[in-house]
Amino acid sequence: MSSERARGAAITGIGVIAPNGLHADAYWKSVREGLGALDRITREGCEDMPLRVGGEVRGFDPADLIEEPFLVQTDRFTHFGMAAAALALDDAGLGRGNPAEPYSIGVVTAAGSGGGEFGQRELQKLWGQGSKFVGPYQSIAWFYAASTGQISIWSGFKGPCGVVASDEAGGLDAIAHAARTVRRGTGAMVVGSAEAPLAPYSMVCQLGYPELSTAEEPDRAYLPFTKGARGFAPAEGGAMLVVEDETRARERGTDIRAVVAGHSATFTGASRWEESREGLARAIKGALDEAGCAPEEIDVVFADAMGVPEADRAEALAIADALGAHGSRVPVTAPKTGTGRAYCAAPVLDVVSAVFAMENGLVPPTPNVFDICHDLDLVMSRARPAELHTALVLSRGLMGSNAALVVRRGGDSAR
Amino acid sequence: MITAELTFDDLAGLMKKAAGVTVDPQQLKQSPDYPFDAVGLDSLGLLGIVGELENRYGASLPQDSERCKTPREFLDLVNSTLKAGA
Repeated sequence: MSSERARGAAITGIGVIAPNGLHADAYWKSVREGLGALDRITREGCEDMPLRVGGEVRGFDPADLIEEPFLVQTDRFTHFGMAAAALALDDAGLGRGNPAEPYSIGVVTAAGSGGGEFGQRELQKLWGQGSKFVGPYQSIAWFYAASTGQISIWSGFKGPCGVVASDEAGGLDAIAHAARTVRRGTGAMVVGSAEAPLAPYSMVCQLGYPELSTAEEPDRAYLPFTKGARGFAPAEGGAMLVVEDETRARERGTDIRAVVAGHSATFTGASRWEESREGLARAIKGALDEAGCAPEEIDVVFADAMGVPEADRAEALAIADALGAHGSRVPVTAPKTGTGRAYCAAPVLDVVSAVFAMENGLVPPTPNVFDICHDLDLVMSRARPAELHTALVLSRGLMGSNAALVVRRGGDSAR
Repeated sequence: MITAELTFDDLAGLMKKAAGVTVDPQQLKQSPDYPFDAVGLDSLGLLGIVGELENRYGASLPQDSERCKTPREFLDLVNSTLKAGA
């Protein structure tokens, strides 16, 4: 354990492509202000779906950040992932393309559904024109691992690569995987998730989820922890991080923005929200144990905030179960009510918010939520100033995974 | 069956369309032995071009067409196949 402690996993780079910002700083500005980016879904072919409200990434031109072959050969979810990776690498001050030590950097992403839009286009050619009209890039573009592979190829990073397909909480599991890889000796990992679920085929797949909100009004569609909770609104986009060996980062003279301190994951079954209470509480305790962190040390909780009454109740109780009396005193927030849930990318965006919150001493608010029916100190209306050293990020998946991640402020890691 | 030959200009257009690889047709013409992989066209990209040509001409190209390494090699193969079929 002592040698693992010595090799800390530092977050040194952040890249965001989200409905409320095409850059990490723009994202945080919007999150800090509690601005909502949920809106009517306008993408072509989605007009007649019973799903009305989501978080669309608008004004995004992937060609600004990635080269043309990758645009032609990959799906929108990979466009988001590659663009966010480029931003994260720039933020970390790491080069790409013929890096000096290509094997010292690896890539891991989490994916919830792969490239639905690309797949739909090629399958339409298959049934409309015949098998000879399906392009060869269909063999890779739809695939869950596509973003990991393309980021690796594009950047020239040849270190350990992986893809985590463990439900929405996989966004946190991927960060933990990256931290473990760094602790085992890899210099840095590009890690995160981006999703593109707002295309016709992808949306049809989601319509079977009873947790999906089919509300019409953007500011009433996603209201976790309230009496008006009616499910969640989906979102596209995501975030990528650079998780780096802490010593290496210090030697490079790079800012250590935060440290990945502890993680744990459990499984309690699809839509079994009552059971998720125990699973989530166990995940929180496991993450605290790994971080060597007492419940009272948690300064802010980024909630999963499913927006389904049973799931919200289970989460509030899980926080109380795991944190004891501190659970009703610690500030809790859910900035994702302003953007929607971008599946695996949702908890990664929460980790980004947590890092900015600790850097700025500010707990961001939960947009659109003004009155809750649980024993939680949910931050509403406007950001709350607070000295923040340690954040807890929670995530649950529709298929039953639960995960918790403890993140510490960069300057605190030496203590 | 089309009788016109596939030209370097056609190939440059196909590389752009099928694989997103932009090349100057003049450069292809001047350096026909400069390998595809050096300009970023991989075997999947060439496979896409083969598929496009087969659909366009309604004819099959030889197996392993996508294994050609250079523009000259590929154009020679395509044009000799088209001629043989004419």
